Amino acid sequence: MKKMDSTTRLERLREAMGNGDIDKRDFLRLLGCAGITAGLSGGIMTSLATQARAAGTDLYFEGWGGVVSEALRKYAFDPYTKATGNKVIDSTFGGEKEVLTKIKAAGSTKGHNILHSSGVDWYMRWTKGGYGVKLDMSKIPNFDNVMESIVAPFKKITPGYLSAVPYDYGTTGIAYNTKHISKEEAEAQGANILLNPKYKGKIGGWGGDWANRAWFGALQSGQDPNNITDWNAVWAKVREMRGLVKKYWSSGAELMDLLASEEIWVTEAWSGRVAALQAQGHPIGYFDPKNGLAWMESMFVLKGSPMDESEQLLNFMLAPDTALAVAAGQKYPSSLDPTKVKMPESVTSLPAFDPTGKLASLVFRDPVKWNAVEKVQGRMWDRIKKGG
Amino acid sequence: MALEVAKFDKRPWVLLSPALVTITALVVIPMAFMLAYSFYLNVDLAVDKPAFQFGNWIEIATDKYYYVAIWKTFRLSMIVTLLAAILGYVPAYFIAMTRFRHKWMLLLLLIMPFWISFIIRTLSWIHILGHDGAINSLLLYLGVIRHPMDMMYNQYTVIVGFIHVFLPYMILNIYVSLDGIDRNLEPAARTLGATGWQAFREVTLPLSLPGLGAGCLLVFVLTAGSYVTPLILGGPNDFLFGNLIYDAIITELNWPMGAALSITLLVLLGVVVIVYSRLMGLRQLAKAFA
Amino acid sequence: MRAWTLIRFYTVFVYIFMFAPIAVVLILAFNKAEFASFPMTGFSLRWFERLFNDPTIMRAFRTSLTLGLMVSAISTTLGVMASIALVRYEFRGKDLMTTFLISPVLVPETVMAVGLLIFLRYLHMPRSFGLLLLGHSILALPFVVLVVQARLVGIKREYEEAARSLGANPLQTFFSVTLPLLLPAVFAGALFAFTISFDNITATLFWRPSGMETVPTQIFGMLRNSISPEINALGFVMISVTAGVPLLAGGLARYFGRKNRARHPTRSLT
Repeated sequence: MKKMDSTTRLERLREAMGNGDIDKRDFLRLLGCAGITAGLSGGIMTSLATQARAAGTDLYFEGWGGVVSEALRKYAFDPYTKATGNKVIDSTFGGEKEVLTKIKAAGSTKGHNILHSSGVDWYMRWTKGGYGVKLDMSKIPNFDNVMESIVAPFKKITPGYLSAVPYDYGTTGIAYNTKHISKEEAEAQGANILLNPKYKGKIGGWGGDWANRAWFGALQSGQDPNNITDWNAVWAKVREMRGLVKKYWSSGAELMDLLASEEIWVTEAWSGRVAALQAQGHPIGYFDPKNGLAWMESMFVLKGSPMDESEQLLNFMLAPDTALAVAAGQKYPSSLDPTKVKMPESVTSLPAFDPTGKLASLVFRDPVKWNAVEKVQGRMWDRIKKGG
Repeated sequence: MALEVAKFDKRPWVLLSPALVTITALVVIPMAFMLAYSFYLNVDLAVDKPAFQFGNWIEIATDKYYYVAIWKTFRLSMIVTLLAAILGYVPAYFIAMTRFRHKWMLLLLLIMPFWISFIIRTLSWIHILGHDGAINSLLLYLGVIRHPMDMMYNQYTVIVGFIHVFLPYMILNIYVSLDGIDRNLEPAARTLGATGWQAFREVTLPLSLPGLGAGCLLVFVLTAGSYVTPLILGGPNDFLFGNLIYDAIITELNWPMGAALSITLLVLLGVVVIVYSRLMGLRQLAKAFA
Repeated sequence: MRAWTLIRFYTVFVYIFMFAPIAVVLILAFNKAEFASFPMTGFSLRWFERLFNDPTIMRAFRTSLTLGLMVSAISTTLGVMASIALVRYEFRGKDLMTTFLISPVLVPETVMAVGLLIFLRYLHMPRSFGLLLLGHSILALPFVVLVVQARLVGIKREYEEAARSLGANPLQTFFSVTLPLLLPAVFAGALFAFTISFDNITATLFWRPSGMETVPTQIFGMLRNSISPEINALGFVMISVTAGVPLLAGGLARYFGRKNRARHPTRSLT
């Protein structure tokens, strides 16, 4: 750098001092005024909002957000509020573990009533943890339409009563980009396509759940996922796959984004999300490998919730019109029995949809086996993910 | 003044007490709970038993896995801090010295990105560097490349993401200290025969060191404590110590381990701050004599 | 002269780096497709339409605004008092106190969030707006201290001593000399505090009471489903509001200020 002309420089400095400071002060004053105005209006709005919801019982609902919440709000929560005067306050969680962390930290379920709970394993965890209730099914007449096959696994955990109503189901299969991988090629390889070195750097996987990783590790090492005997073989496959993966995604949105932008060509994927991608015209194929993972979601009522209101809400949600509208919105089939309730094409065409209502073709996780090993095996994935 | 110094001066403590009380109540006491928790026994998922055992600590001290994470964290934080300092000093200097009339606008522009959610800002790098991103789309359109380049989900995107988020902290800290410097000093040095560069190096740079130091400390500490950026922009190999804590507390629901890991990170970062305050404390002292 | 040009280019480069992602957000807000990606498939305002028809976002926006303003008031007051003590007085344990005041930055947010929750359980206090307020204030306090302190070091003590020797008491000195000199730093600190609160997600997810959403947690919820351009539309609106209002106000102020200054020419000397 060269020496500067000091006179110009000095002049510039002087000018900067003069102008800069005055502008700053005016600006400050204005920003102060703007701040006060905003604060006042915000305060007024807040107090108005508090007054507005004075009457009726509040029910706190937590779910997965997005179109699921939109559909629920439109078809279930709003009509419910209109009919009963009770309000449903819905918010989004990042996963049920987040809710459990909060409840555990706070020492009470205050402020948590109904969860959109995923998997029978979580049903088991909540009920065994003492967070469950006994629902009075006479107050939920629409429950009669729910498939017996989807209720059975829940009943097995809490014989004689339920703390939740099953609401929807789906699968975790393999999604692939049809521009780069043909249907025959993909389906011939099954779960092992995720270990094919040909696609190194183009493979994705769900990083958020150890049990999901282990399930695929079991498939790849040729074991029955519900009866794993050789955990070392499972984790060896998981390690092998890690070397080929470009990105472990952590949400359905990320999964969709990676597939749509072709950052990855093949990954395991949630059926509903793939259906959403296909509906948008992306060249994505999907299949469930042999023994692929299926799961069911329930509306779980937590201990300490206002029971009459909660049961009333569940009944609203299970009303065929509501349940089917929600199913079409979130792209996961409803838990209602297709042999009892007529389903529109928008629901019957969803992936994993089972027209028989028996769910015999789907393999669900055995919560007794999986929850028992979680403490030991659950950590393995966290380590392997980080190269350990 | 000399008289006042001689006896015990209550005034600083009066001024400090509200902040001290708040921090004690909301940070120190909760952290004490965490420390106690680190000796608890995790029986099962989300089930802890009060105990006094060193299992968690022994594991941290003996398992290489944790050392790797610590090393990675410090390395990445150093890189981000250095790059942020290099990238940040010049704009801070420009803003402080410019005769541009709307200086406040430059400052406001720096803070503006904060008002769009941190997550949106981080995600937007995917829209720039990804397959569908601005760069690939442009190059494809111009015919420079045939297939989109792979630029996402590696160490470099993580660094870019971090710098983008933390650079304003750096610039603002440097700016604040540059702006506090008496503007007659540099010209004065030059009238004494110093070149522009010499005047800067001898006068402005030393005087701006508190701000630069504060900026570096902040960026280092913030980077070392994060976990979201690598999740969004990194590949399988990109993680920080914060990710281990997050995993232990949220994913594994093993709070005792999470608490022990947290305390470990706290102590390590605490050492950094002590080193810093020794260094900068000395500098400030030196300045008082100048 | 060449050096200054270089500095200017460098600065422009850094600003481009800072704003490239923002620009992308702004542009993609008008994208027609479901996905926020290039090349754009067409121009559309539908994401804005969806945004404005979404009462939850508007509610979240109000919550964040109220929260941010209150947080900046609290943490700036505490921070300025503490900084004055640290810079203006000599006392034992000063280094320790400085470290202590900055220490909340060191605590990873997840840890801070859970720690505070455990503590509240012992006090039998439920999560509330108050918890968010206090929590955010603690997160912002170290930044206020750092910014204000760095500025305060640069303010000459002689000004204050001059005022004192002219008979002003400490309080008068503070309000008539120190505070005006400190104002840019106070302002920067307050703005910092506001933005930290406004942008916080990790701790907020833990502390917020059920059913209360701030803008970041709302966005987080939206993201779970899809990275839709609606989020970019939200970004666009936020930038327009946050940058547009002060710019407009600034312009008006200059307009009226010029008139004012013409009448009181001495003001420009202060």
